[in-house]
Amino acid sequence: MPDIKVTPLGAGQDVGRSCILVSIGGKNIMLDCGMHMGYNDDRRFPDFSYVTQNGRLTEFLDCVIISHFHLDHCGALPYMSEMVGYDGPIYMTHPTKAICPILLEDFRKITVDKKGETNFFTSQMIKDCMKKVVPLNLHQTVQVDEELEIKAYYAGHVLGAAMFQIKVGSESVVYTGDYNMTPDRHLGAAWIDKCRPDLLISESTYATTIRDSKRCRERDFLKKVHETVERGGKVLIPVFALGRAQELCILLETFWERMNLKAPIYFSTGLTEKANHYYKLFITWTNQKIRKTFVQRNMFEFKHIKAFDRSYADNPGPMVVFATPGMLHAGQSLQIFKKWAGNEKNMLIMPGYCVQGTVGHKILNGQKKLEMEGRATLDVKLQVEYMSFSAHADAKGIMQLIRMAEPRNMLLVHGEAKKMEFLKDKIEQEFSISCYMPANGETTTIVTNPSVPVDISLNLLKREMALGGPLPDAKRPRTMHGTLIMKDNSLRLVSPEQALKELGLSEHQLRFTCRVQLHDPHSDTDTLGRIYTHLKSVLKSYSIQHVPDGTVIVESIVIKVTSSAEEPNLKVLLLSWSYQDEELGSFLSTLLKNGLPS
Amino acid sequence: MDSDCLSLLPAVCLVLADPKQSPPDDTSLEKLLDWFKELHSQSNGQVLLQHQPCLLEFISNVCTSKTTDPAILSFTLKLTGLLAATTQGFNLLDEGGLLVYVFEREAWGVCDLWEDASVRSGWLQGLLDMLKHQQALGFICGNGLIKVILQLQNDRSLFVACLANQLLVHILNFLTSSNMTSGSDVVGSSESSLRPDWVSASSEIMNAVVEALSSEDCPRVLQGLRLLSLVLSQCGEPIISTLWKDVLVPLEVFVNRGSESLIQTLITVLEAALGTPLLSQSEYKVEELLEAMLGDGNRKECFQCAALIVKLEKCPEVLKRKATDIILLPLQCVSTQPQAEKEINVVLKEQLSQKASCISLLMQSLSSLAQLAHTKYLFEDISIHSITSSVALLLRMCSGHCPSSLLHINAFTHLIGCCKVQRCGLDTLGALSVYEENLDLRKDIFGVLLDYLQSPDSHATVLKKTFQAVKRWIVCSPFPDLLQFISHDLFPVLEKRMCDLRWEVRDSTLEFITQLTAALNGNSGFSEALHTSGMVSVLLSSLADAEGYVRASAVAAVGEAVTASFHQTVLVSNSKLLEDALMQMMAILSQDTEGFPRRAVVQAFTSWLKGSHLIMALESSLSSVLSLGGSDFDWEVKMHTLELAEVLMEKTLTCCPYAVQNFGSSEETRFTQALIKFKDFGLFDLLFNSLFDCDRPVCEKACALLVKLGTLTAETADLDHSILVLNVCGNRWGDEVQRRYLNKQQAKASVCVTNGVTGSDEGTDCDLHCTKDISLPKILQILDLDDMQRMLTLSSDHVVNSPRSLMEDILSAAQQSEENIVDCY
Repeated sequence: MPDIKVTPLGAGQDVGRSCILVSIGGKNIMLDCGMHMGYNDDRRFPDFSYVTQNGRLTEFLDCVIISHFHLDHCGALPYMSEMVGYDGPIYMTHPTKAICPILLEDFRKITVDKKGETNFFTSQMIKDCMKKVVPLNLHQTVQVDEELEIKAYYAGHVLGAAMFQIKVGSESVVYTGDYNMTPDRHLGAAWIDKCRPDLLISESTYATTIRDSKRCRERDFLKKVHETVERGGKVLIPVFALGRAQELCILLETFWERMNLKAPIYFSTGLTEKANHYYKLFITWTNQKIRKTFVQRNMFEFKHIKAFDRSYADNPGPMVVFATPGMLHAGQSLQIFKKWAGNEKNMLIMPGYCVQGTVGHKILNGQKKLEMEGRATLDVKLQVEYMSFSAHADAKGIMQLIRMAEPRNMLLVHGEAKKMEFLKDKIEQEFSISCYMPANGETTTIVTNPSVPVDISLNLLKREMALGGPLPDAKRPRTMHGTLIMKDNSLRLVSPEQALKELGLSEHQLRFTCRVQLHDPHSDTDTLGRIYTHLKSVLKSYSIQHVPDGTVIVESIVIKVTSSAEEPNLKVLLLSWSYQDEELGSFLSTLLKNGLPS
Repeated sequence: MDSDCLSLLPAVCLVLADPKQSPPDDTSLEKLLDWFKELHSQSNGQVLLQHQPCLLEFISNVCTSKTTDPAILSFTLKLTGLLAATTQGFNLLDEGGLLVYVFEREAWGVCDLWEDASVRSGWLQGLLDMLKHQQALGFICGNGLIKVILQLQNDRSLFVACLANQLLVHILNFLTSSNMTSGSDVVGSSESSLRPDWVSASSEIMNAVVEALSSEDCPRVLQGLRLLSLVLSQCGEPIISTLWKDVLVPLEVFVNRGSESLIQTLITVLEAALGTPLLSQSEYKVEELLEAMLGDGNRKECFQCAALIVKLEKCPEVLKRKATDIILLPLQCVSTQPQAEKEINVVLKEQLSQKASCISLLMQSLSSLAQLAHTKYLFEDISIHSITSSVALLLRMCSGHCPSSLLHINAFTHLIGCCKVQRCGLDTLGALSVYEENLDLRKDIFGVLLDYLQSPDSHATVLKKTFQAVKRWIVCSPFPDLLQFISHDLFPVLEKRMCDLRWEVRDSTLEFITQLTAALNGNSGFSEALHTSGMVSVLLSSLADAEGYVRASAVAAVGEAVTASFHQTVLVSNSKLLEDALMQMMAILSQDTEGFPRRAVVQAFTSWLKGSHLIMALESSLSSVLSLGGSDFDWEVKMHTLELAEVLMEKTLTCCPYAVQNFGSSEETRFTQALIKFKDFGLFDLLFNSLFDCDRPVCEKACALLVKLGTLTAETADLDHSILVLNVCGNRWGDEVQRRYLNKQQAKASVCVTNGVTGSDEGTDCDLHCTKDISLPKILQILDLDDMQRMLTLSSDHVVNSPRSLMEDILSAAQQSEENIVDCY
């Protein structure tokens, strides 16, 4: 039976780097190629040697698909394509292709900043990798080769994020990447049509959570910022250049406008301009509200948010600063933090996840004294708030997507094992489909039942119709008999007569024969007569003939009697029948083996 | 470090062993293990266990608890293995049966934890780490663990199965080396003085390999073969020959059966065998097996085998020749007429008639050929000339041109527009440029390549490969009519490509021009052609491209063109080019919204300055570049600007005749004049500003340059300080200098007061905060650059990555009552 194989190299029962291998219809596809931000050595990249076992990636993989620009989904891409070596196509949406290099560059900087860093990609490698990328539009079916096609659907989550349908023949897989089923300030909700894939591979970050309304979190955020500014404090919001930062900027901008606030809001290092350029360029990827108001006013042209200069950090009075990087581990955000940490009037708002080891992680864990370079200790007196604004589907959202796509099987990735287990049970119960959750390195095999398209001859169809019965219905499969001809890469079902004619063959009859031994102390002719009578009494509704040439015929079955001169009482009955009467033939042989009634 | 960390260890152990606590993230546990490994490598492991009873308690608590998290259990298994890697550690753990308890497979069997792949892999890793001494070997053999490891060899997790194989090989290796030291034969020796369980362990493992190879189950066979190849590459005698004898029969069966799914692994096995003494003994049939895999080139699988054999490093020559002949067959079959009916390989024809197999065969053929060309392999039965022609013809077929004599070959229709074959073919064609015999084919080859460059259907990635091939053929063998070819044939195509709608194509074109200009550096005809063909103006117009990457490549191309021009006699067009280039590049540096073009501008200046032809011409722009580059948003622009500053300093200080008028002046005067020049360029502002930048690499670089300057200043005794006075007011670095100075003064003053000393020879400095100007040497002294440099060389993550920081993180995460909802970006 054909099957689909899925092996996660990352994101199998964890929320680390996503990298999932799928084999479908003889094609090998890599879904996402992410990096683990928590490691500084080779452990941050998926181990690609498991993919090919010494072979070349270009020869093994038919394509790579990247769902969105977050580094845990695309961070290992330049490493794979330029350092390990992959020359084949890489697919992602247009916004992802535009934004990916910015984040990769951002991360490269952080890595280069570290001591003893080797084996890391260069700027040139990022560019060379991006040149291999084939950008996609939503709902556009792209033919990777004759058999393999892919199609992108809107996923929400971040600008340009997409879910992908992968199809080979009648088999298909949908990979969600990260998605969000509720619209937010700047993006819409994920959507997919009822494509009934053989397998839906879904993220499950919030597998057990039903999240509260985002409005509450937003209100809370604005309240905290406002209170701090009112009491003359400064607010630091460490962010990554693109993504959540824009959502929070829109939020603050609108609030400042409404409340007529005067305290300055800054965004560090000129990234707003570049980021907003992309939001303008890809306005069709944002939500309806932004698209509608775009003509009157571009939401990303901020009146209150200005570019930050590092000298502003020392200015007296309140201010709000968005600074990179988001985990407070280097650069401007860390420099500002060091300046403001000692004042309890100030506030730090962490809107995203921080990996172990970063200052951001320590502060979120409540550490109040931080050791800095040179053993100097920094007292953390400012207030610290953690607010999750990440846009993933919660348990309700995941179930909603299953209802939308109606998959035959489900596979969970990008989540914690325990939470996945819970969701898996729920899915299996509610939808009666199998749900899998392989760990990294484990292969899940899903047997598929592919339908092979066959052309049926008109004559055969007419004959079928003439036989009566219900009219054809797509939802009620029916059995048809005919001869299957495989010619010139196509399959056709025709009547046996037509097949013979087309192929120039003459018909041969296949007959089954068997011998049955019988003790009967009569002459051969009498025995035959006794057989005729016996069969007449048993098979009442059948036509039975006693032919004068010494045979009894029942339908297509022919029965003859012979005996040898040495043992005249031992009769050998010769039975022969055609394929059509196979059942009757075997019945008769069994019947006669039991002997004739005396 | 260690004492700090050791004091935190008991608390960390308590937290980790507490089943009520959710475990820290997986990276924390891995990093904690890294630290233990480091301690172990410093041979502190035993000391650690002796002085930290908490570790024993921790291990015991985790293993007795039925509610342990799999992540913690996996960590504990690995930790136990590490700690037991020394005999003392092993003994400590073995006392009271803790070790048996930890690794007792049955204990895990009763609970679901074993179902978790991380636990199984932790168990294997623990044993692997432990296996450093004979006691550990005895432990594994004596407790029947070999059986479990052999089971795990067929685990559903790739990672676990792989680890199990590694462990088995390690065990075999260890058995052999233990045997060597005890001077007896572990394999098959009846007089062995070894423990009987060791002997049976090795035969158990080897039997398992043989059994796996005799199995009907393909995944099991594959694992068996993988283990076999590991044994062959990592173990010594007598293990390998004993095992080989037993597996030879099943291997022969596989080879003769030609099972497609096993080929790659079989070749890996045979490759490993090539590196062993097995090769030299004919009864082991290594070469024979490889040859059998190739067959007569008439089996479907033989091409894959040939492609793999061609790659082998230690392959016997005869075999390599045979493999080469076979792997070239698909290429030849597609691109040449069969000479006689009998030569037609039916299997090959069948394969070539189907699209997927046709493409894959040709790719194997081409990439093997490229590989052979990289080593400049000498072909024997076939001329390199005809091979190269075949590749060129194949590339023509891919773009839809096929000689009528070959039209009957089905493959042609599969090849039209096939990017995969095009990319691979172009790589191969480029690689074939190393053969001198191909020189007379050049015209034909450039014809093919130009067709690709001209074709509107060429994919961006194909064009990139075409450029690479063109460059290789030009650089490899410059020819008399090269310039004619470049200006008449190549440049018009390139100009068209620079208007391509795809940025990828425009960028690759510009990169190609840059590389070509650099490669033909010194060729006066080429730089003239650049000007006369109008290419230069096209390059200049590309500086305004819509895509940042392309602008950056255009900057590099223009930079190289300027360099090339000035290697020649000074022409009016050259200075015009420089003038235009400078104007546009300065505009990019000050206005471009993307970092790449700005980085490229600064790099172009650095490269010009290094060339030293242009120093005078650049002087007027240098101060602007230093000031714009130094205040850029992008940290790499700043870094490149500091590199530019470094070159400027080197050039000026090493008696550069253009920068400083040095006729008749002394060393000191020249140095002073150079410093004045630096001041005029704004070099000091750049260096001091960068010293307090938020990006560490920038500060580090600036500091290194200032230290160099400081040394030179200190060495020059007669330096006139009054000439080199810098204004320290109104800028950030000046404030910092003043602050530091005042701090020092205050500290000094308090010392003076306590010592009862009044009056100072540095009285003038007391008014420092009132003055705006300080001399350069004084500033350098105030800043204590050596101390700053020491701090900066500590990378920004040295504190956060320390084990102490890690432990504090684990502890504070445990104290945190409310869980931060799992999030990722």
